[in-house]
Amino acid sequence: MFDNNVFIENSCKNVTEHGVVTGYELQTHITYYRGIPMSMVDNIRVEEDGNEVERPAIRISTDKTDWFTLDEAETVTTYKWEYGEPLFIRVMKEKGLCPGKHTIKLTIATRTAYIPVPLTGIREETVFI
Amino acid sequence: MSGIKTCVSLYSLQDEYLNKRMGFLEIMKFLKDNGVEGFEILPDQMLHGAPHLSDETLKMWDTAIAETGLKPVIADIFLNTNLYKNRTLTKKECVDLLVDEVKMAKRLGIPLLRLVSMVPGYVLESLLPYLEEYQVTVALEIHAAMAFDIPQTRDFVAEMKRLDSPYIGLVIDTGIFCRKFPRVTKEYSIATGVNPEIFEYIEDVFAKGKDMHMIKNENHGKYPADFTKLLKTELDHMFAATADGYENLPYEVMDEHLPYIKHFHFKLYEMIADVKEVLPTPEEMLPNPLEYSMKYDEILKYLDSKGYTGYVSTEYEGNRFTLPGHPMREKEQVLAHQNYIRMCLKEIMSSKLDLG
Repeated sequence: MFDNNVFIENSCKNVTEHGVVTGYELQTHITYYRGIPMSMVDNIRVEEDGNEVERPAIRISTDKTDWFTLDEAETVTTYKWEYGEPLFIRVMKEKGLCPGKHTIKLTIATRTAYIPVPLTGIREETVFI
Repeated sequence: MSGIKTCVSLYSLQDEYLNKRMGFLEIMKFLKDNGVEGFEILPDQMLHGAPHLSDETLKMWDTAIAETGLKPVIADIFLNTNLYKNRTLTKKECVDLLVDEVKMAKRLGIPLLRLVSMVPGYVLESLLPYLEEYQVTVALEIHAAMAFDIPQTRDFVAEMKRLDSPYIGLVIDTGIFCRKFPRVTKEYSIATGVNPEIFEYIEDVFAKGKDMHMIKNENHGKYPADFTKLLKTELDHMFAATADGYENLPYEVMDEHLPYIKHFHFKLYEMIADVKEVLPTPEEMLPNPLEYSMKYDEILKYLDSKGYTGYVSTEYEGNRFTLPGHPMREKEQVLAHQNYIRMCLKEIMSSKLDLG
């Protein structure tokens, strides 16, 4: 239902830290119509060229300063993912994505206050590095 | 003279906001420029940090109110009972969160808070002293699939009646009065891969004066076998989980609750022009406006006959059923709906004058 919100176009790129490529980053809007504390991010899945990224390799941030694993984020209530603002997602991977064309599929699920099942949005993008 | 007043929920313009085509102030000016008098806001949507607003956000709010003169009618708030994945919030935690929302409403000059459906009635007694102190009213949303018949709403209504305070009431979402299943939902779902036969079934149900929530209730809370046999894929099942979110109730279901009704969400899926069923053009108002699923002339006549004098708020939800790559028509739909409501109210007034 909120598929349109998932995966901000042209946001996927490799991340360089201290001169070393440590992974890649992408951005998404929220699969909901309001902002929520980070603890209400129910799940995030990244599929890279048909292969599911392992959950511990994923980090998320609302400010690009403080990053959390998905397990850590479950207790993060004072950082709010605002409606209209991106969530930054990093996949920790030595050397990042290799140059060329990739297919990245992003799944975002958020818990709402009143619907028993999380609101999920999915979008697949072709990415050029 | 009808005392019914109109406003627009900013929920209606959420895609404009999300994709930064319009900011909060621009949305407010758009409403003002088009003769809208009041507005409804979801603080969690357009006021960063809500309910703990920064000086910067408060300044933006004050500027918007001063520059447009629009009346803040109501704020839609949520209770994150599932803030944590491993447990539900306690009653004390729930009340504490709601008190913060009440304080925010007071600062913003908003007299009414819509509590999202499923807010437990047991918070009310502890919350009431704060409502009285800050003179802010809370009202539970009565929404399709979560309307008067579910246990959580029944509990809330019972507690509301027991406490019998002017600071506690209800908001009615007119999605409980769908006379046809929304066409935009059907078209979006089929385009994304849902089995079209599902919609033939649902449309037949509506044609018989029923809805999928009713069908479930008649079958001990489950969809009947002749419907479930149409659910062939995971996508079909995902759609079916929300297919009961459009009810087809008689207006009289409101009769016993009228003294408690504080506000209405006038749900809008799709404005159409009479029987041609075409979308409005941005350039002109519709000559014979109608909403595809709900009959607002009937709803407004009912409310006027019962002496309702509160606000009715345009809440456009067709935006979420816009296919990728298709134009988003939020502004056009909102204005067409406001035009439709105004025409209905004008007709009610004219008929009273004729009778007089």
